[in-house]
Amino acid sequence: MTTERPPASNSELNRRNLFKLSGLGLAAVPGLAACGRGFGGGGDDESGDGVTLNMVWWGDATRAEKTQAALDVFLEANPDITIKVEYQDSGPYQDKLATRFAANDAPDLMAMRMDSLREYADRGALLDLNEYADDIDLSGLSENAANLAEVDGSVFGVPAGLNAVGFVIRKDFAEQYGVAVPDGNTWSWDDLAAFAQAISDASGQEVYGTGYDVQTLQNLVVWVRQQGEDLFTEDGKLGVTAATMEAWFNLADGMRRSGAYPPAGFFEEIGGGADQSYIAQGKLASQIIPTNNFLGYNEACGGTLALLRIPGETQAVRRGQSVDCPHLWSVAAASKHPKEAVKLLDFLTNDPEASLATGTTRGVPASSAVAEEIKDSLEPDDLTATEYLMGLQGEDLPRSYTYPPGGSAIADFLDVIAVEVEFGRQSPADGAAQFIAEATAAIEG
Amino acid sequence: MTTTSTETAVMPGAVAPPAPQTKRRRGVRKDRAGYLFLLPWFIGMLFTIVPFFASLYLAFTDYNLLNAPKWIGLENFADMFSDPVLLKSLKVTFVYTFVSVPLSLAAALGVAMILNRGIRGLPWYRAVFYLPSLLGASVAVVLLWRYVFGFDGIVNAFLGWFGIDAISWTSDPDYALTTLIILHIWTFGSPMVIFLAGLRQIPVMYYEAAAVDGASKWRRFRSITLPLLSPIIFFNLIQSLIASFQTFTQGFVMNNGGGGPANSTLFYNLYLYQQGFGQFNMGYASAMAWTLLVIIAVFTAITFFTAKYWVNYDS
Repeated sequence: MTTERPPASNSELNRRNLFKLSGLGLAAVPGLAACGRGFGGGGDDESGDGVTLNMVWWGDATRAEKTQAALDVFLEANPDITIKVEYQDSGPYQDKLATRFAANDAPDLMAMRMDSLREYADRGALLDLNEYADDIDLSGLSENAANLAEVDGSVFGVPAGLNAVGFVIRKDFAEQYGVAVPDGNTWSWDDLAAFAQAISDASGQEVYGTGYDVQTLQNLVVWVRQQGEDLFTEDGKLGVTAATMEAWFNLADGMRRSGAYPPAGFFEEIGGGADQSYIAQGKLASQIIPTNNFLGYNEACGGTLALLRIPGETQAVRRGQSVDCPHLWSVAAASKHPKEAVKLLDFLTNDPEASLATGTTRGVPASSAVAEEIKDSLEPDDLTATEYLMGLQGEDLPRSYTYPPGGSAIADFLDVIAVEVEFGRQSPADGAAQFIAEATAAIEG
Repeated sequence: MTTTSTETAVMPGAVAPPAPQTKRRRGVRKDRAGYLFLLPWFIGMLFTIVPFFASLYLAFTDYNLLNAPKWIGLENFADMFSDPVLLKSLKVTFVYTFVSVPLSLAAALGVAMILNRGIRGLPWYRAVFYLPSLLGASVAVVLLWRYVFGFDGIVNAFLGWFGIDAISWTSDPDYALTTLIILHIWTFGSPMVIFLAGLRQIPVMYYEAAAVDGASKWRRFRSITLPLLSPIIFFNLIQSLIASFQTFTQGFVMNNGGGGPANSTLFYNLYLYQQGFGQFNMGYASAMAWTLLVIIAVFTAITFFTAKYWVNYDS
């Protein structure tokens, strides 16, 4: 792609060289789209008579340690199987997983994001676990848990654990500023606003009363369900109305105006961990977190957190909370060793020893029997989160439906529009209308 | 890789006997040395050439990474015109390029001229100013930048002394791109080093003669420095334009892989990446890549075309 053209005057070496050099840079452009990156390391090695499974997931070093401990138990019982584990951060994980499927080098067992499930499953990339009913027992899963990975009667994964969203409140701030912590089972959105306002006022906005994420889909889902709607309907359409979206934006907007919620631009990309979170820094008194992170957040906040349900559960049209999972375990349809991969999955799901090793790093064990069995060995904070979730699981919650293909793009739209509304560049009504239009197009297109 | 070993194995053998050589042979040997230097590039090329043409094919297909590509002709290219996010990303990329390239070149030339005045410890200064351009696109520096421009960062603390309210440099859609443009300008080191080399080639006698004739500093800059430096400016301009159109890392790292607040730092290449690897629209992403190639080629061609009016090669 060098721009090789005859120089206007051929006496000047200087000019020719510069021409050529300048053109060279162009050649680098289209390479980007096609540059595939594998996970590195060779393919699975078939030496000997053993079977090598490739297992991939995302997470940090702590999760790796706990996972390895579980795998060690499995390996001891199955000496003919070896497991090649690869893990990394969630962002790059997603990209590499897609590239590996494209390169016909799919891992045997993999962590699968809820919003990507159908993008893989609908394209025939995942194994239907119903066909391996003899090798894996899914009867221990509650209905809420079993439904998570079911698409048209096929099961494309097993929840690696169960979680939900919960509201955490710093009890030390409540005490310091003389505000009572509301009753977590019955509080309303108005109670939240009143609590947050009182904290912000009493602290002179040193501490903002609340700062839950408007642009996080899991938070929005609860609100939408409370209004009697579904973000995604059973037949894979967008089910939320513009009025509900507008009300969601208005909720935070109203509190932002009154100072109960931080001003626009307050939240920056500060990197994930609980340690760096605003609530741990003491700038917020409450926020929404996934319950499996409660232990980490409570540690970062010096054990001052109370775990409440999302507001509005008793006042709304219907229950909004749902049992969710941090990720699913799925098996590739192209796996060379599906039986062994399913066997490993069965171990992770149904063997209490596996869950004893992993703890609640991926949430509460999906099998209720296993969850009950390991409860006694949990740390107090883990027990709080586990009981919270088991309580929810025992209740009659409206069913939630899996993300339709294209659903993962919706998070991007919501992120953009929420900021537009936050900075007043768009009214809540306009933002809601735009969200509906873009999300509908993404799902249908 | 076998090519490398044979080539290097032959070279010492060819050099060892200092026998008298014919002109033709010397020519071959000279060429061979050239090719040897090019070898790393050729080897690299082998790895890019396949993806390069594969992406050209994929640009005309519907390819989701999981199923075989399906030929759809020009549909990807047609879709681009009605994609508001793509148009937004183009706008971001154009603003970024046309603001930061001239400013960073001006900064580079300015500092190069100061350094060219024969100050002591020049190599040290040169290295110090060059350093950011090596680091600018690196993850570590962008992360550092995020803290410097953070809400509680140094920049806001500094502005605070003058009674200016804290600005959300990275999370306010009105400022996020500005922050990245400042980052870009700060990495002027690599054009600066080239400018410095160019400045040192301008014979001092021109300036002396002009000074004797009573030319002012500004006049000397305009009538001697700029014309004689114009090929270098041209080269730096083309290089910076091309690099700037392809910006990716800064946007990616600053916002954890997203497009920034309200997509205000969604560079074209970042959106391309999101489409290909996030949304599984690899055919569309390939079409975007080739469109970018055309865009860059057009702007490069325009710059080449204007060159004859302002680039001076008579030295």
